[in-house]
Amino acid sequence: MEITRRDLLQKITTGGAVIAVGGAVSAATLTGIAHAEEAKLSPQAVGMLYDATRCIGCQTCVVACTKANDLTPDIRRDQLHQGPGDLNSYTKTIIKLYKSTDGKEFSYVKQQCMHCIDPACAAACMFGGLKKDAKTGAVTWNGSLCVGCRYCEIACPFNVPKFGWEGFNPKIVKCEFCKERLAKGEQPACTEVCPKKAVIFGPREELMKEAKLRIAANPGKYFENRVYGEREAGGTQVLYLSHVAFDKLGLPQPGDESVPHKYLKWQKRLYSYLVLPAGLYAVLVGSIRKNWKGHEEHMEEEEKATGLRPQL
Amino acid sequence: MNDTWQRDVPVFNVPIWTRPFKVLCGLAGLGLILVAYREVVGLGPASGMNDAYAWGIWKTFNTMVLTGLGSGAFAIGIAAWLFRRNQLHVVMRTALLTSFLAYVFGLAMLGVDVGRPWNFYWIVAPWRWNLHSPLLEVAVCMSIYATIPLFVENIPPALEYIYQQWPKLRPIVKQVEKCFVKAFPWIVSLAYVLPAMHQSSLGALMLLGGNRVSPLWQTPFLPLLYVWAAAFLGFAFVSATLLFCGVMWKRPLDVDILGEMSRINAWLIGTWLVFRIADLSIRGQIVAAFRPNVDAVLFWAEMALMAAAFWFQRNPAVRRSPRKMFYGALLATVGGILYRFDPTTTAFQPKANAIYFPSVIEILISVGFMSLGILIFIFLAKILAILPAPNKLWHEMESRRVNPRLKPLTASPRVEGYVAGD
Ligand code: SF4
Ligand code: SF4
Ligand code: SF4
Repeated sequence: MEITRRDLLQKITTGGAVIAVGGAVSAATLTGIAHAEEAKLSPQAVGMLYDATRCIGCQTCVVACTKANDLTPDIRRDQLHQGPGDLNSYTKTIIKLYKSTDGKEFSYVKQQCMHCIDPACAAACMFGGLKKDAKTGAVTWNGSLCVGCRYCEIACPFNVPKFGWEGFNPKIVKCEFCKERLAKGEQPACTEVCPKKAVIFGPREELMKEAKLRIAANPGKYFENRVYGEREAGGTQVLYLSHVAFDKLGLPQPGDESVPHKYLKWQKRLYSYLVLPAGLYAVLVGSIRKNWKGHEEHMEEEEKATGLRPQL
Repeated sequence: MNDTWQRDVPVFNVPIWTRPFKVLCGLAGLGLILVAYREVVGLGPASGMNDAYAWGIWKTFNTMVLTGLGSGAFAIGIAAWLFRRNQLHVVMRTALLTSFLAYVFGLAMLGVDVGRPWNFYWIVAPWRWNLHSPLLEVAVCMSIYATIPLFVENIPPALEYIYQQWPKLRPIVKQVEKCFVKAFPWIVSLAYVLPAMHQSSLGALMLLGGNRVSPLWQTPFLPLLYVWAAAFLGFAFVSATLLFCGVMWKRPLDVDILGEMSRINAWLIGTWLVFRIADLSIRGQIVAAFRPNVDAVLFWAEMALMAAAFWFQRNPAVRRSPRKMFYGALLATVGGILYRFDPTTTAFQPKANAIYFPSVIEILISVGFMSLGILIFIFLAKILAILPAPNKLWHEMESRRVNPRLKPLTASPRVEGYVAGD
């Protein structure tokens, strides 16, 4: 194939396009860096501290949570007792029991939303149906912005959000840190009723101090002498202390970096201010308009030669 | 020379209402009825999805995989327009129609899949957009792509039909076509930016799965691998469609153009393979491929298919045989499907012991939507000039329009260029 002058010119334009795109990428990356910083917590951020060594498994919190949130008790197991098998669309918190096979080691564990500092569920959510409150840090759901895509369920590293699988008006159900009670200046229902103060409420910072004091006062009592939730998935506002290994309690090991930060930072950079897509578009229009002229000429030639109307 | 593809010609010598067509209609109808059932009873009773596997095949297959097959317009268009592979222009209409249908039904499945579709209207409110959500990216870009560039690019065959059928309207058609010519470069460019964005965001969807997605698939480069896969899937699927239609409707094949598509495809697959393996090695996860588990088996299946597709299609002898090219395209399609499907389903382990298997209703709805897409394609290919053919087929069609009882010009329009015995 011989290279005509026009071909050569076209090649040069295409090469120019590639360079321009490269430039746009680096520019977008630079503007994006400031954008993709790790999330920070407000000083008023609330918290919850659950100490598995104090919990007696009475499930008072579960009942209080059901009442405070106007949920229907999940009695599907025996039509009599509230006995959910896991968090579900009827259940925002649950007490589970871990027992080793020899029966010597056992512990209860409470589960609910961890209220992540950088919540993956909110990062996934299209229109902000799940959102982190700027002040309290509670991650709450807004039914008029949720399309029911269930991406939050895929994204949450702690398997928290649950979907109403029955009926035509399904909801996403998850602990919202008793947002109405917080707004009234009250504490969450579950922390209020706990008879053993196994789960307590307070500013996250205070609770972190308290947890560390407990560890310092009882060296060796707590698993790895550390607080679960301090760093997990970039840190959470719900904190755990336990004498049993965290993974045995079914607490996931999502790693220390928040998932949205770890995986979406490039995504965020590439799309920051839509610089890159816009640049790409401009370059494409330029070079396709050039190629279009040649195409038109070619179509005209064809029409003359064959007598058939050109096809777009 | 006149046995090669020169322009697009309707499949005019075959009846529309055939038995396979009726079967497709039946499947599509059943699917639509079941959609109504799903809307009433909710997702739980209609599907196998659960709180651990909150996404089923409607999203992971119909939307995330099939729009990959529908990337022909994107991939072939870039080759034709940007890299000036001019001979590919003749297959663009086939690519555009398959892409349009794949996208429309991918989006429709998304609509069936979401639980609160009435809140979708926020899509027209950019201040509500969470631009960091890959799913938002996908939904916005896909809707714009399907309704503007893809839709507009599919109008010319319809205009051509009007021009032929109603001579009175010809001046208007010509006028409209003039506007089209002006707008085309702007629209065509949009048709490449948008898919590049959302095809990569489809890969970004599973990034938020974090370490619950097997390290064989989970990588920050998932978006890039996904667009690249979309490119070769697009080429492979359009090749396979052209070859299949050619044989089914006894139309001449153009071995040169098909060979060129095969060649580009081999090149795309080759670079993709290099990139995939480099990514695994750099992350140090290549060892995960040697653990005795399902993930590793699927990984090797995928690798074997892709390597075979590459090896096969880069062989010049294969590129002269339509049958072998069809196998090559099929290998690439199946391998690509596997790659794009695995991280969403088999390689995603949200919770110990959680399982998902699609329910019968779920599968029937998914099949129903695919059938609907296929039957619309068949119908339109028989009415509009979608599939490429030599000029003489066009003349034959014209003369038959004047005199419908005319005998076919050639006993079978299957002509040279199609190597006998292949
Ligand atoms: S635990 Fe899950 S649902 Fe709760 S804030 Fe974190 S990501 Fe969201
Ligand atoms: S299901 Fe609702 S809350 Fe969850 S990600 Fe989708 S839109 Fe957001
Ligand atoms: S904070 Fe409220 S919603 Fe959350 S577990 Fe406690 S009682 Fe339930």
